[in-house]
Amino acid sequence: MDILIQQLFNGLTIGSVYSLVALGLTLVYGILHIPNFAHGALYMMGGYMTFTMMTKFGFHYWLAILIAVVAVGLLGVLMERFVFHPLRNAPPLHDKIAAIGILLFLESFAQLVWGGDYLTMPTPYNQVVSIFGLTFTMQRLLIIIAAIVIMIALNLFLKKTFTGATIIAMSQNREGANLVGINTTKVAMLTFLISGGLAALASSLASPINLVFPGMGHLVILKAFVIIILGGMGSIPGAILGGYILGFSESLGATYISNDYKDIIAFILLVLILTIKPTGLFVKGGHT
Amino acid sequence: MKRFKGLFLLSVIVMLVFVTACSDSTTGGSSGKDGEKGVVNIGYSGPLSGAAAFYGERTLNGLKMAAEEINDEGGFEVNGKTYTINLVPLDDKYLPNETASNAKRLVQEHKTPIIFTPHSGGVLALQVFNEVDNFIIGAYTSEPSVTEGGNKLTVQIPPKYDGYVEPFTNYAMDRFGKKIAALPTSSQYGKDWTETLLTYWKKQGGEVVYESSINFAKDTDFFTVITNALKKKPDVLFIGGASEPTAKVAKQARELGFKGGFIVMDQAKLNEMEKITGSYEVLEGAVGVLPLIYSKAPGVPSFKEKYNAKYKEDPGSEAGIHYIGLHAFIEAMKAAGTVDDPKKIYEHVQDGLDAIPEERKTYLVPKITEAGSFDYELHFGVVEDGEVKEMEAK
Repeated sequence: MDILIQQLFNGLTIGSVYSLVALGLTLVYGILHIPNFAHGALYMMGGYMTFTMMTKFGFHYWLAILIAVVAVGLLGVLMERFVFHPLRNAPPLHDKIAAIGILLFLESFAQLVWGGDYLTMPTPYNQVVSIFGLTFTMQRLLIIIAAIVIMIALNLFLKKTFTGATIIAMSQNREGANLVGINTTKVAMLTFLISGGLAALASSLASPINLVFPGMGHLVILKAFVIIILGGMGSIPGAILGGYILGFSESLGATYISNDYKDIIAFILLVLILTIKPTGLFVKGGHT
Repeated sequence: MKRFKGLFLLSVIVMLVFVTACSDSTTGGSSGKDGEKGVVNIGYSGPLSGAAAFYGERTLNGLKMAAEEINDEGGFEVNGKTYTINLVPLDDKYLPNETASNAKRLVQEHKTPIIFTPHSGGVLALQVFNEVDNFIIGAYTSEPSVTEGGNKLTVQIPPKYDGYVEPFTNYAMDRFGKKIAALPTSSQYGKDWTETLLTYWKKQGGEVVYESSINFAKDTDFFTVITNALKKKPDVLFIGGASEPTAKVAKQARELGFKGGFIVMDQAKLNEMEKITGSYEVLEGAVGVLPLIYSKAPGVPSFKEKYNAKYKEDPGSEAGIHYIGLHAFIEAMKAAGTVDDPKKIYEHVQDGLDAIPEERKTYLVPKITEAGSFDYELHFGVVEDGEVKEMEAK
């Protein structure tokens, strides 16, 4: 019994990280209509930003995260301005190539600036909490709580505010949104800002339990792709649910079936869900 | 018409660049006459970009330091002629196929008699054609099989890992108990290591309670797999891979309440792990390779000092072993009386090892085995009472 609860907790931790990354990816899908391959690089940049703010400038963890969220969000905006905006009328293939280009650029950039070494991000929440034979660390609890808070906030923003509504409108139909007077340029920039911010937040929360290194984006990006396919491309609840499904299937699969097969389990799940619902669990927001 | 002219000009320039590049590269090998200065090109192919770039850089740093030392002295003398060393490093991104094409390039363009490569996959790829293309592989891998295949021009420069299995097992079993759980890295090297260790562990009457592996390039969090391993109540955890993620595994195991010892694969170094865990207390009871900085070999203090000044960090064994490796080859060239006959150089590696000056001995390597592996006086490190202690394998 202990082990089940411990593993559910582990799954919840890792699922929260996956969900946050997938959320940013799914939002931008609404604008680009392709998965943004460079999202993993934004995740990586977020980790390095927070790390640098904490170690070089001695900022507090939360302040460092805030700066990283803003900085990586702006990096997302720059990407949109200089790369994806000029390509908005080009075939989707061009966006894909451009995204991969950005990914390679950012990874090499990180290696140049910070070197290829593994870095450890310090955290003020290193305490280990053991209750009833279960082990939590404060950092892990923080990941879970922060992820839930962010998800609620994002949902309120998209559903209850006018600006949020414009984002959804644009993901449904770019021309239509333009026709009813939405400034699509502004909305696209805003979406990239939020997406980059989410990536930075996810990596800043997750880095203390892993490491910061140029390839860290790969740890989550492939899984985030699986999640948004599983949840339905462009769907917000799909990204959240998909993240937790993957998190739990990994931790429980590793416990009750085999650790070596835990990735296979996740992908079998993907195949099964797509067989039953080919468009993913939730079809894209506006089309329901 | 104007456009054609431009194109023509461009192609002429390209041709010129190409020709100069070619003539540049032919200065290697044995060009020049007696009394003149010659250049020996030494090849290197390793990961200089991508996830393992820091590892590649450190291996290359060892070679660079040895080459600079010799060049600063004005070079070395073979048959009355003075040579300087020119290192030619190429990036293979850790991919064996890239190592192979790099090696072809190094041999054809730069006539390198020796090519260093720091991964077993690359070594195996080069062994396919190194005897035909006539170059020595400076193989930086602890995988015992690379010299067991009978390749006549392979020198394995680090200690083979199978030498560690017995002392590590004895130490961990005596101190902690007979139950082991294995959580090594999921690479081929990790799997081979695991099999060698666990076979020996069982032979000594030990029990393997959990066996799995961790893919450090894919797993974001290790809590899940460690929880499962600890459920089986092991006395000892076998961990390994690159130092930093391995340290994370150790740290998370402690967070989950593990009180036993660790056997650490030779790829991970205790001093690098300590940087991640913050203290040696987390690693109490770990047995692993002795970090270079704690070694008592005569060449270590000066090497450490120079390395620190140059690269602003403590040298690891990958730098130290490459350093002594290149020195051994250069001494072998002197003994062989040739810089471009790999077979002759290979035959004189033993003389080269004997001739390395004391102050350059970052390791004690008394001899090279028949098969071509450096035979070390094996020492290893254990963490006792929050300190690394040097132990001698008998």
